[in-house]
Amino acid sequence: MIDCEQKPPAGKLVTPARDDLRIAWLAALAIAVHMVEAVVPSPLPGVKPGLANVITVAVLCLYGWRSAVWVAALRVLVGSLLIGTFLTPTFLLSVSGASASLLVLGLATRLPGQGLSPIGLCLLAALAHMFAQFFVAYLFFIPHPGLFALLPLLMTLASVFGIISGLLTTKLLAYQGALS
Amino acid sequence: MKAAFGLTIADKLLVGLVIFLLLSLYGRYWSSATPGERFRVSSIVNGIQTMDFGADRIIAIEGPLGTTRLQIAGNRVRFISSPCHGKQCIHAGWLADAGDFAACLPNRISLTVLGLTKEYDSINF
Repeated sequence: MIDCEQKPPAGKLVTPARDDLRIAWLAALAIAVHMVEAVVPSPLPGVKPGLANVITVAVLCLYGWRSAVWVAALRVLVGSLLIGTFLTPTFLLSVSGASASLLVLGLATRLPGQGLSPIGLCLLAALAHMFAQFFVAYLFFIPHPGLFALLPLLMTLASVFGIISGLLTTKLLAYQGALS
Repeated sequence: MKAAFGLTIADKLLVGLVIFLLLSLYGRYWSSATPGERFRVSSIVNGIQTMDFGADRIIAIEGPLGTTRLQIAGNRVRFISSPCHGKQCIHAGWLADAGDFAACLPNRISLTVLGLTKEYDSINF
């Protein structure tokens, strides 16, 4: 039996908390970056800078790991729905990359002392992302040892883009700090 | 902020670790091919022969057009003369690594360098 007295008034079934709204805004921003990146052609097929990672790491630094997980998960899910890759191999790669980078970011924030700066966090996230994607691609899509010849190049690109994302994140956080 | 971009000790350790990781990846997957151990010559006249590099020498292989000569020197092998038109076999130069391959198609002779493990020269699928 539903107790009528406790039923919330119509239109107020779900009251988003401050955190929910913030996550929604940040996820929307991350999705926008993700979409722009998906549209811009890359000189190397399958390689993109991963600038949406900037948002994930910025959220991690500002609001913690839980928020970062939400923002990244929403970005991967909504991004894939908008681009049309939901439940395709691309989506699986995207999920595995995002999960791996969130995992290492979660571990990295538990480091003692000063821990990692945004640059270190982005670098680590980019490497984890690439590594996970590579192994998912190897295990499920191209189980051929020849694929490993690409690994050094891909990891180098991941490092370069990770550091660039890190510099951008540092800038973004400095700007954010100057605003508030 | 300590340094220009506020790099922490952990950052520097991570960068060092990443450089080591990248170098070892390049070393592991981009190192030059394994040196050959032996080579195999296939000719429509003489059949298939597998030989050790051994001493420096020049060997003659018979084909339908005539005699093709191979030079073996310092664990490498190359075509030095062949009675063919294009001389692509000679232009292929020295073969030294496992999987290296050259052939004189007009004279129906092919030359493959073999390693301890079989290496593919290329794969399509």
